[in-house]
Amino acid sequence: MAEIVVGDRHIPLDEDGFLEDASMWDEEVANFLAKTEEVELTEEHWEIIKYLRKYFDDFNVAPPVRRMVKDVHRDLQTIYALFPSGPGKGACKIAGLPKPTGCV
Amino acid sequence: MENVNDLKPSDIGRAGGQVTKLDKVMDLPAPYDKPGMEPDFKEVKPAWQEKYCTTLDGFVGVDTLQRPKTKEEEDEFVRKFLSGLEKIFTDANNGALQPLSLTFDYCAKCNTCSEACHIYEASGHNELYRPIFRSEVLRKIYKKYFTKSGKLLGGFVGADIDVNWETIARLGELAYRCNLCRRCAQTCPLGLDNSIIAKEIRKIFSQELEIAPTPLHNKGTVLQLKTGSSTGINKAAFLDNIEFMEEDIEEQTGLKIKVPVDKKGADILLIHNAGEFVSWPENPAAFAILFERAGLNWTLSSSLVGYDSVNYGIWYDDTQAKKIVQAQQRAALELGVRRIVIGECGHAHKAAAVVGDRMVYGEDKVPVESFLPILWDAVQKGAFKFDPSRNDFPVTLHDPCNLVRGMGVVEPQRNILKIIAPKFREMTPHGVYNYCCGGGSGFAIMNSLNFLDFRNKVSSRMKFKQILDAFADTVADPSIVKYVCAPCSNCKGAIRDMFEYYEATAKFNIHYGGLVDLMVNALADLPRPFLTFDE
Repeated sequence: MAEIVVGDRHIPLDEDGFLEDASMWDEEVANFLAKTEEVELTEEHWEIIKYLRKYFDDFNVAPPVRRMVKDVHRDLQTIYALFPSGPGKGACKIAGLPKPTGCV
Repeated sequence: MENVNDLKPSDIGRAGGQVTKLDKVMDLPAPYDKPGMEPDFKEVKPAWQEKYCTTLDGFVGVDTLQRPKTKEEEDEFVRKFLSGLEKIFTDANNGALQPLSLTFDYCAKCNTCSEACHIYEASGHNELYRPIFRSEVLRKIYKKYFTKSGKLLGGFVGADIDVNWETIARLGELAYRCNLCRRCAQTCPLGLDNSIIAKEIRKIFSQELEIAPTPLHNKGTVLQLKTGSSTGINKAAFLDNIEFMEEDIEEQTGLKIKVPVDKKGADILLIHNAGEFVSWPENPAAFAILFERAGLNWTLSSSLVGYDSVNYGIWYDDTQAKKIVQAQQRAALELGVRRIVIGECGHAHKAAAVVGDRMVYGEDKVPVESFLPILWDAVQKGAFKFDPSRNDFPVTLHDPCNLVRGMGVVEPQRNILKIIAPKFREMTPHGVYNYCCGGGSGFAIMNSLNFLDFRNKVSSRMKFKQILDAFADTVADPSIVKYVCAPCSNCKGAIRDMFEYYEATAKFNIHYGGLVDLMVNALADLPRPFLTFDE
């Protein structure tokens, strides 16, 4: 299993670079994950990341993409421009959410 | 590595490296008949070779099948597999014993089934992927350990195979090179079914060795039993999704619909594959619109597993499958509905209506039906006013194996398409003779390591060829939208990945989606198209 070292913490990742344990996430980890995605986090990124964290805190699962697009008031192209790997593999990953499962 | 044409089942027990390597795969038609139109296979990483079984064909489908660290672990692995192998031929295996025994004992090795197999064809006729190849390996192992002649005479009676960790692990991987589509069984002159053998091997791995692909078991069935859905959607998230769906329907169509949830005494409990809420929310929305228009007395359930029709257990583990069937039945009994209706998900049809019949029966069983005859009935009764010109683009139909070949639901979807899609054309072959999308039996969600390469380049290859052939008249013109109607979540996932891999949407404007979405798109009174092709 891969891992990243943030400060003195060893944080395990799955093979696709998602956090194994979403509770190990904090802003420092987000910055680190953003680097692996070659994303420079701006205010606009943080707004989306915070939205995803809030949804995850409420429901323990990532929001459907269509829902996210509506809630953050941005179209899919804008989200791809901000997170080139897309809403799931990019934004959710940096926000520390688990990899999507099931027939999705 | 030997020439692929010389490969024999006993080679699975051979020491050393990879048994075979895929190089020459089946040609694709235009515009994919030129070099550089698809990515090459990626090289196997040395780190994978150390950890997993890459010695079959270089692909890793089973991420939990990892190399033993000690001789004891290896011996234990072989011992448990053999014990499981003995068990599947006992009365306790009453779900599959008879067809399994017949297939095991009576195969004449005529190989009629090989050409029926899309994986064998797509592989460029590599021996390894003949439907009977893995069955032969299993026969040799069985003979060696459980027959008198095999124990005494070994190779003279076909028990010529070395059995160790590598042999069994390769066989475990080989059980995940079959989509369980049963096209081979359909063509067998003796009516034998090699997919049963593939599935029984998977079952031994899961039930005896606790080895199953993570997306199917730990992140599939286990998550479903814990949270209510393999997507991780719990009750609160489900209810929130429904509320969002109602708002979305109103915004898209102007229709105010209250989606019934947990309505006691309804006629129909409709169960969707919960992946639809995440990836294709327009599909359950379209169902709601059509069911309301048809005046059906229906409901969704918010109970555990009552809102997720998937049952991955039918692909790898009978015990897990039964738990899911029971949970879905419980949800129906709680509401007192007359019947369960399964939405656009093929394997869920088989699991709830066919396999489930052997797991829950008698008075406790709520009957299970397909959505398709119900929709066709509503169409015939004139419940919907369609304007087919709204679907004025080429449409072809993919037949989900479980629903069509497996259950014989063939005509309703075609009858509907003939009404709503003026440019509908069939694939060749189609109906009960269809080819699998390549995502069957769990492949659509098995994305570990390099397995996606095997799916996109090999198991989905025949379906991609069929799609290109069906659109041969317009494929090269990217200004024309083309639509593959695939009424199954699992198939849609495989087709989506296929189109991304081959850049079929980006380059040639080929799209995919469900049947109900296309029906709603044709509703004459909606203010604007329901489908958008702007991805």
